[in-house]
Amino acid sequence: MKITILLCIGVSLVFTVMAMAGDQGVTIEGAKRSIKLPEAAVSLKEGPGMDTTSRYCRICHSLDYITTQQKFPKARWQGVVTKMIKTYGAPISKENADIIVDYIATNYGIGG
Amino acid sequence: MESKGVSRRNFIKTVGITTALAATGTLPPVLYASERRLVTFPEKTELLLLTSSPPQLETPLKYFRELITPNEALFVRWHLANIPTSVDLDTWRLVVHGNVDKPISLTFKDLKKFEKISYTAVIQCAGNGRSFFEPPVFGGQWLNGAMGNVTWGGVRLKDVLRSAGIKSGSMEVVFKGLDKAVLPTTPGFLKSLQLDKALEDDIIIAYEMNGQSLPMLNGFPVRLVVPGWYATYWVKALSDIEVIDKPSESFWVKTAYRIPDNPCGCVEPGTAPKKSVPINRMTTRSLLINPEDGTRLKSGQVTELMGVAFSGGYSIKEVLVSVDGGVNWRPARLGKDIGRYSWIQWFYPWQPAKPGTYQVMVRATNSIGESQPLDGLWNPSGYLLNKIEKHNLIVI
Repeated sequence: MKITILLCIGVSLVFTVMAMAGDQGVTIEGAKRSIKLPEAAVSLKEGPGMDTTSRYCRICHSLDYITTQQKFPKARWQGVVTKMIKTYGAPISKENADIIVDYIATNYGIGG
Repeated sequence: MESKGVSRRNFIKTVGITTALAATGTLPPVLYASERRLVTFPEKTELLLLTSSPPQLETPLKYFRELITPNEALFVRWHLANIPTSVDLDTWRLVVHGNVDKPISLTFKDLKKFEKISYTAVIQCAGNGRSFFEPPVFGGQWLNGAMGNVTWGGVRLKDVLRSAGIKSGSMEVVFKGLDKAVLPTTPGFLKSLQLDKALEDDIIIAYEMNGQSLPMLNGFPVRLVVPGWYATYWVKALSDIEVIDKPSESFWVKTAYRIPDNPCGCVEPGTAPKKSVPINRMTTRSLLINPEDGTRLKSGQVTELMGVAFSGGYSIKEVLVSVDGGVNWRPARLGKDIGRYSWIQWFYPWQPAKPGTYQVMVRATNSIGESQPLDGLWNPSGYLLNKIEKHNLIVI
């Protein structure tokens, strides 16, 4: 009987903490603290190469890494895509890299 | 309305955002429609979205009207997408290893047994203000919201290092957090400090922000605080400290986060430096926070201009204000000085007599004479921005 009551109080306390903190998107269970990140909701402009760009770039980062940049010429975007492959190890073939650079330069940069 | 020295693009961008925010609290549909909107992340208030994964969130300028930036409003910046979203303090450990007498593994309770230190310090991203670079540079296109002023509480790094015993011949200390890259081929986010820097009194392992635990997105449960230096060193969710006897090979020190190796940290726009060094101390800055750029004021009425000023670890000695595009400069009144790492508020009552557009400029100087350039100094990564800002206030 005593144990049941204590258990109930314990359980309700845990739920109270979770509900209060949950308003801010955080869950606390004992010493464990967790958050749930919102989904990235970015869509790229329609155009040739959009699917390839979306598929590969999204492996490591959300697509707003592209859309929030200023307008750079194609050669600069070429440099960025090369850096993604050589420095950060993105698994992108030469053929797909060209598609991606063309797509970004056309839709978010200067010159296709 | 457009004034000399303010490019049309920047003018429109800044005015568009600030006026729209002031009017409706939301971003206009035409400017930065896909790029900047207010979002709410866990434990955070509405912040300006730069990128969602890894998250980069910017503080709206209105929060800088206060001396202390609230935890829920502090900017967020991660480098690698696998960021910690769950930490169990019962199993969490901070390990110190490498070139030490006895490697240690501290629980959260163990860590808190060291003497507690507390002070207020500006935290600022190395690329804060990058979107104002001319010509523009790649990287997160921050406005001025990648900064904040927070009271940090924690334990001295040197006390923790000494408890493990630093062996002779040690050169650097490497810091690693719980964040991980998506791909095994991507360099992990490791940062390092020279040993003599790491042993400075004021560097702490912080477990409190403004008296509360750190929000997960700001590095719960502990982060490094290197006051006066850019936030790239303030490793979040710190879990691993390694003492090494040779220079760090980390990409994030050896290749990234570097500035030209000269007194201004600058080069001719569009060129690369011959020699570079890891970025370090913050440049001196001052910002006009209120009223926001593009605000309309009534002639004959007194408006108190206010803002903040700070530098990389030296007190602000003077803040000068010009309301005529830089012709005449007068000192602003400085607010309470709460320490050399904190920002200081400045105030300047102003009574414009005639209608017109006034270009307001602010310039801070610190106790060792470091100040701000009139025109921007340029470097390829868009760091150290501290040019004198030019705001337009419209008097009707």
